[in-house]
Amino acid sequence: MRQVLIFRLGSEWFGLEISRIQEISEMPQLDFIPRAPVWLMGAMNFHGNVMPVLDLGRYLDIETLMTVNKVVIMPPGKEGIALGVTEVFRIVYYDANACLPCRQETKNKFIKNLYDYEGLVVNMLDISTLIEELNTSQI
Amino acid sequence: MRVEISYKFTMGFILVVASVVGFNLLVPLLGLEAYWWHQVFSVGSALLVGLILGSLFSRVFTNNIRVLREAAERISSGDLSRSVRLRDTVFPDETYDLALSLNKVNNNLRELVGAVRVSSGQVADSAQGLSATAQEMTASSHELSNTVEQISRGAESQAETVETTSRLIKEMEVSTELVVAAAGKVLEAVDLTVSTAQQGGETARRTMEGMKQILLDVEQSGEQVVSFGGQLQKISKIVDVINSVAQKTNLLALNATIEAARAGEYGRGFAVVAEEIRKLADSTADSAGEITQLIGNVQGDGLSVEKSLRASIEEMDKGKKAIDLTSTAFSEIIDTAVNAQSKAFSITELSNKQLEGAHYLVGAIDDISQVVSDNAAATEEGSAATEQQSASMEEMAHSAQDLARYAESLIDKVKLFQLENSESSD
Repeated sequence: MRQVLIFRLGSEWFGLEISRIQEISEMPQLDFIPRAPVWLMGAMNFHGNVMPVLDLGRYLDIETLMTVNKVVIMPPGKEGIALGVTEVFRIVYYDANACLPCRQETKNKFIKNLYDYEGLVVNMLDISTLIEELNTSQI
Repeated sequence: MRVEISYKFTMGFILVVASVVGFNLLVPLLGLEAYWWHQVFSVGSALLVGLILGSLFSRVFTNNIRVLREAAERISSGDLSRSVRLRDTVFPDETYDLALSLNKVNNNLRELVGAVRVSSGQVADSAQGLSATAQEMTASSHELSNTVEQISRGAESQAETVETTSRLIKEMEVSTELVVAAAGKVLEAVDLTVSTAQQGGETARRTMEGMKQILLDVEQSGEQVVSFGGQLQKISKIVDVINSVAQKTNLLALNATIEAARAGEYGRGFAVVAEEIRKLADSTADSAGEITQLIGNVQGDGLSVEKSLRASIEEMDKGKKAIDLTSTAFSEIIDTAVNAQSKAFSITELSNKQLEGAHYLVGAIDDISQVVSDNAAATEEGSAATEQQSASMEEMAHSAQDLARYAESLIDKVKLFQLENSESSD
């Protein structure tokens, strides 16, 4: 059974499968990346690996000035990126029946679907598309 | 040689008888025949002799008598200038005596008239002087009378004034008694004020002490509240630490769950433990949040308590100042009241003295009134006496005038007598 980490970006709730997550940590000291786009916060040292930290809220155009307290770190190598989020909530079991039916217009290429967790509307993040997009963009 | 008239008559009679006898003797010598012729002749001769003698004698006598009568008439008409002079004769008789007597009378009268004239002149002068003096005295006594009347009127008005003064002084006495009573009441009131003000000052002092004690307590409470706030902050820091520990625990639990999921079937138990730890961390965070909430509430309460304490302290400072002012005011009141007390006391004393003085004054005024009324009576008597005197003086003046008139009429009367002096002067 799949487990999903529910986290918050500003006032929006997002979900991410924990199988894609290496670790969750407090926001560390970041290194400055020259000529980086505004959604790239900087680089962090994760157990000897330098990983770029993405300002997810800014990248998804949710909110421009949100606080970033935690980072969700992907496994180094393949994804090799950390997501800056406002707050992590908890890890829940994912029930596919609880997905909300929705029209195509409400969907985004980074959002797979909307999941209802105990009344919270959680945007399930399509992390593969996100990584692909990042990789295709010129950093 | 003095011969009395009777002797002269006797001698004449003898001569006539002698001539009768003689002629009787001589006739026969003449040669007449007839007897009766003899008789006629002798009687005729004797008659002739008697006629001659008688006419001579009676002429002398009548002349003398006429001279005497004229002299007497002259005297009676007042002419005393001349003395009687009869023709010198060999045989003076009683007519000469009479002439002498008349001369004596004349002389005596002349002296008398002279003396009377002089005296009456003097009397007239004196009477006139007396009259003038009496008139002057009358005038003076009129003036005196007027003056005495003025004095009398003055004495009456003085008596009235004294009566008014007496009434006023009695009223003043009554007023002074009222003042004394009022001053006594003022003294009582001031005594009461002093005691009340002293009580008030004492109360203010006690209130001040109580206030200071309360202020100390409140300041202590304030300090306690402040220190309580500090301890709350410490608790808050501890809770912050607990909170961050809970968050870290939560994060660790989340990572443990991720690790357990990665471990697959083997990590299932670990995932349960991680979930339990996460729940613990959650409840710890909730409790910490509640504690923070409580601390916030308590801090808010403490702040409001502190604020109200500060306000209380300010109010108390104000109250302290007010009480200080009150205390000062009370001491000033006491000072003023003590001042007023001494003044009221001196007012009482002074008014008592004034009252005594007023009593004396009333007595003195009564005496003065008595004296003034006596004076008025005496003045009236004096006025009456003066008027009487004036009347007497007028009478006297009248009498003097009468006297002068009498003297003048006497002089007029006496002027009828012509004296030698006046004749010689004529």
